[in-house]
Amino acid sequence: MNPATPAHVLVMTLHYAEPPSFSMVEMVLLAICIALSAVAFFRRFSRVLRNIFTARKDPGFHLAPIGKRVWDFFWELLCQAKVIRERPLPGLAHAFVFWGFLAFALVSLNHFAAGFRLGVLDADNWVGVFYFWFAAVFALLVAVSIAGLFVRRFFVRPIWLGRKVSYESGVIAFLIFALMVTYLAAFFVPSTSTMARGLWWAHALCILAFLPLIPHTKHLHLVLSPITIFLSRGEFSHIPPLNGDEDFGLVTGKDVTQLVALQAYSCVECGRCTEHCPAANTGKILNPKEIILGVRNYLNDLGPHSEEPLLGKYNSQEAAFQCTTCGACEFQCPVGIEHLPVIIGLRRGAVNTGAWEDDHGTKLFLALERNGNALGMSATERDKFIKKQELPIFDGSQEYCLWLGCMGAYDPQGREIIASFAKVMDYLGTSYGVLKKEKCTGDPVRRLGNDLVFQQLAEQNLEIMKQQKVTKIVTICPHCVRTIAKDWKDYGASPEVEHHSEFMARYQDKLPKTDGPEIVYHDPCYLGRYRGSYDQPREVLARSGKVIDPPRARERSFCCGAGGGLAFLGEETGERVSHVRAKELAATGASVVAAACPFCNTMFRDALAATSDAPPQLLDIAQITAQTIAAQPVATASATPSNGAQNA
Amino acid sequence: MSGVLVVLEHRGGAYNRMSWEALAAGQQIAAASGQPLSVAVVGSDLEGLSGELASKKLDKGYRVEHALLKNYTADGYVSALEQLIKKLEPGYVVFPHTYQVRDFAPRLATRFGQVLLADLVGLRKDGDTFVFVRQLFQGKLNADYRHTGSGPCFVSVQAGAFRAESLEAGNTTVETFAPQIEANAIRNKPDEPFREAAQTVDLSAAPIIVSVGRGIKEQDNLPMMEELAAALGGELAASRPICDNGWLPMERQVGSSGQTVSPKLYLAVGISGAIQHLVGMKGSKTVVAINKDENAPIFEVADYGIVGDLFEVVPALTEAVKKAKGA
Amino acid sequence: MKIIVAIKQVPVRDSSLHIDSSGHWIDEDDLSYEINEPDAYALEEALQLKEKHGGEVVALLAGPERGSQTIREALAKGADRAIHIECDDLASLDTLGIASRLAAAIKDEKPDLILTGLQSDDLGLGQTGVVLAELLGIPHATIIMQVEAGEGSIKVKRELEDGWFQHVEMPLPALLTIQSGISKLRYATLMGIKKAKTKEVRRISAGDLPPAAAATVTLERVYLPEKKKETQLIEGSPKEAAAKLVEKLKFEVRVI
Repeated sequence: MNPATPAHVLVMTLHYAEPPSFSMVEMVLLAICIALSAVAFFRRFSRVLRNIFTARKDPGFHLAPIGKRVWDFFWELLCQAKVIRERPLPGLAHAFVFWGFLAFALVSLNHFAAGFRLGVLDADNWVGVFYFWFAAVFALLVAVSIAGLFVRRFFVRPIWLGRKVSYESGVIAFLIFALMVTYLAAFFVPSTSTMARGLWWAHALCILAFLPLIPHTKHLHLVLSPITIFLSRGEFSHIPPLNGDEDFGLVTGKDVTQLVALQAYSCVECGRCTEHCPAANTGKILNPKEIILGVRNYLNDLGPHSEEPLLGKYNSQEAAFQCTTCGACEFQCPVGIEHLPVIIGLRRGAVNTGAWEDDHGTKLFLALERNGNALGMSATERDKFIKKQELPIFDGSQEYCLWLGCMGAYDPQGREIIASFAKVMDYLGTSYGVLKKEKCTGDPVRRLGNDLVFQQLAEQNLEIMKQQKVTKIVTICPHCVRTIAKDWKDYGASPEVEHHSEFMARYQDKLPKTDGPEIVYHDPCYLGRYRGSYDQPREVLARSGKVIDPPRARERSFCCGAGGGLAFLGEETGERVSHVRAKELAATGASVVAAACPFCNTMFRDALAATSDAPPQLLDIAQITAQTIAAQPVATASATPSNGAQNA
Repeated sequence: MSGVLVVLEHRGGAYNRMSWEALAAGQQIAAASGQPLSVAVVGSDLEGLSGELASKKLDKGYRVEHALLKNYTADGYVSALEQLIKKLEPGYVVFPHTYQVRDFAPRLATRFGQVLLADLVGLRKDGDTFVFVRQLFQGKLNADYRHTGSGPCFVSVQAGAFRAESLEAGNTTVETFAPQIEANAIRNKPDEPFREAAQTVDLSAAPIIVSVGRGIKEQDNLPMMEELAAALGGELAASRPICDNGWLPMERQVGSSGQTVSPKLYLAVGISGAIQHLVGMKGSKTVVAINKDENAPIFEVADYGIVGDLFEVVPALTEAVKKAKGA
Repeated sequence: MKIIVAIKQVPVRDSSLHIDSSGHWIDEDDLSYEINEPDAYALEEALQLKEKHGGEVVALLAGPERGSQTIREALAKGADRAIHIECDDLASLDTLGIASRLAAAIKDEKPDLILTGLQSDDLGLGQTGVVLAELLGIPHATIIMQVEAGEGSIKVKRELEDGWFQHVEMPLPALLTIQSGISKLRYATLMGIKKAKTKEVRRISAGDLPPAAAATVTLERVYLPEKKKETQLIEGSPKEAAAKLVEKLKFEVRVI
């Protein structure tokens, strides 16, 4: 390097001032402080580790496929992708703090080593100079970021961080800030000065004060979250199998598994889950963050072997049953906490043991046991619909089985959607049939935690699939899709299943295109977050109009309120989730609201009428597509080249 | 063993309508088999009821009286009627199918080694014997029964199955029959019947429900519906949007998030028939729908329907109902 | 208290019914079965009484092998043990014959209380309980809404017509037929089903019991009633339609 350049001058002038030597007294003092800090850290940390490791093992957990785990570790943790994407400014600030910690790793180790004259970094040679400057850049970024985050927490006070001011966060912020300041200040003092020594000791003590705070606070995530992110259950809203005759779900501490414990201890209390929760946003008592912290408090107070019920002092049953299982919480969590298995686990514990006493729930269970559908209708009604609509019966020779589902078979609106989709399939020349007998896939009882009824339904349906030789299913309901594709697997192999939007998207080039009105599309939770199918419905709709998104779209779509079995339960408290979303959709000014789920459709039907004097038209994507087809001048299947029909 | 004995029921000093329907059934059996027809009424101090008995066309009337029969008990009535039947040896014993009859008649039949053919909707002579018609599976099927035992044939008839209007007038002697009953033979101690206190709405118990939906348009139009409900002697209910608007209290909501009802008559006015509503009322015995949209799903589950403007149909219906009841 | 609950297994409500080839009964091939709904309420009442006063609840069912499913559900809901009278000939017996069989099966049980639903969803005769009480020589009461247990006696609330009710005091042992809808039914839970596997089910073959007397009534044939459930649309001006409807309500539906 040219000695005369300004950079060189800067580098040579601003030099990290590490005291050249420490006295014996100092070394002893340092050793004592390190020991005290380490003991305080390990005493608490070992308790946490014990609570995690002595908890029950997770049945059915396996590390494979490891590829996704490695990718998530890189993308979500190292690159802080979700942290930044979902809350950009605070997320970026946090990312800098995190990267700063990583950058400081070697520097901090060296700091203590130097105290015993074992330092590896020499401020005078190249490596040292580079490293100390490298860390200095981050120190600046971290100092600015942590100051900004401090202002946000203590002055802006977003409610998702919690209503009470968190003093521990203030202390930690102060320590981090102090660490950065003491580090940076050392560039401006001579290394032999008392000031340098003072700064060195201040820096060391800040680290040693910070260390024991980690396992006592939410900053445990510093240590745990990399592991938590790596050890995810492998699937969105993965409901673990029950293990043996004594397992009924999350009833007491004994049922808490290692993953649940690990995740409970990883919670950063950032509130991103609560911020996006439809229940928490409409005045219900459910708060996903508090559910996880409730488990954490339980483990801290009672440990994972206690027989005290989990739903009681630490978490409320009422809250657990306000969840629509929309998955916004699990999707948002930056440290890998999987809320849905916990909430559904708590529900299982209540329902499988009969502790949940709810009139509507009981009615739903009886209806499913007795009539095989969630609405309690007689199966003859479904037969009548099939006959009236002249739907072909599946006999094993057709390619697809069109699964009606409870809404498609019994709900007047659901039937319209089926009728429209049948028209689309006829237009495309698809070979399909409907089963003579269908039972509910079991989605509502699966999400409510009734394993007895779910098992009955899954097994009965799988038997029908086998007997009828069904290999491919297409259906209009994302709940059916999810349950058939994933949840039935607990009881046997299920056929391939596709949602009708995914099906139509594959044939979109064969569907007629027309200019149409503005259509606002609502991403159903079970099609979007659960399945990642955001584009297909939009592509299909684009054939019929101009597709626009509401403010909260795609992975941030706001639930319609029907999921988690709630469509079958009683009145909601607080504001209606469906009304909130309906207002948002109507406010876009679009003349058509497109739904892709019969439950969303039913919820918005009433909600749009109730919240708007001139509500937009509500249609399923199948109905919109069928209308576009019908509006064509010559709309017959044989007119389309896709069937291979040749014109003479 | 011959003759038809009809047992009448009374409350508050008067015979109930079902008793006369049972008598009509008894008359039919007696006429078809050429047998004498007697009638019995059970209680104590039956002077007041005797007159009406005497004015009907029968062969004989019996006042079965005992102090211990003042209040109904199964033990009392079974013992008393057992003795009367042993004396008269009828071939048929006919009851109205009331709650009271359901309580004691089976026990009485067992005393004679017989069973009660309950809740008949019809009967006809077939050869030497009768075929008795009952409903099975909550009215989904009819069944023909024949009596093959060697004792009296005990039957009870459903309300409205036989027409009380067809009774002829006549002149009958009424005899008093005093059975032997010991006080300690009566094991149950009944209190006075009572009505429930403050009437909170119990739609599940209402036999007639008039239900209103969005078609009513405004809260000010509700009184018209209340009048119809009152005229029919039924309860007013509503689909969810009406209760959401606060026009009617939540306890009157019928549907998946409200009450499930199964009345004898469900009148759905201005209700389209969304599934959430249907699941709450599909158990109704008879559904009548009034809606101006002929494609409204409610017509799929209705037994009777009027496609029309409810603002015209409902007042006309209220008037017609009042007229029919007043007549 | 020792409570016996007599339950019946019937075809699921709203099942699609087809007459079999002989015309005597329905085709049972495609049917699913469940507990008779009023008996479910009787069972619920028994379980609630046990929860309040302690004791034992015994489920009693007469029927073919498929009845064990309903017994299992009763045990899953909380009954302590069960008695299954295995027989395939119920159709050839009358109420007296069936009740005699039930009485013989429980002759040594000496219960404090016997509960059963007020009638069955299939035949709907509503008498088995009352006849059983007569055969056992115990007092009974029907269409019961509430039961309060005392020392050696009970006080029950009986439903009368037209919104009237009546309290009755009865000595024990006694038999009650229970009205539907009086309480919230509990659902069978996974935990209950697992526990049910270890509970005792005493199986009695009908042949081990005294033979029933010949039936005094026979069911000759079943058939569909003439009136089909087709929507009758009433035409005419509002006044005309209203008048026609009232006619129907008066004479066909019989609610006026």
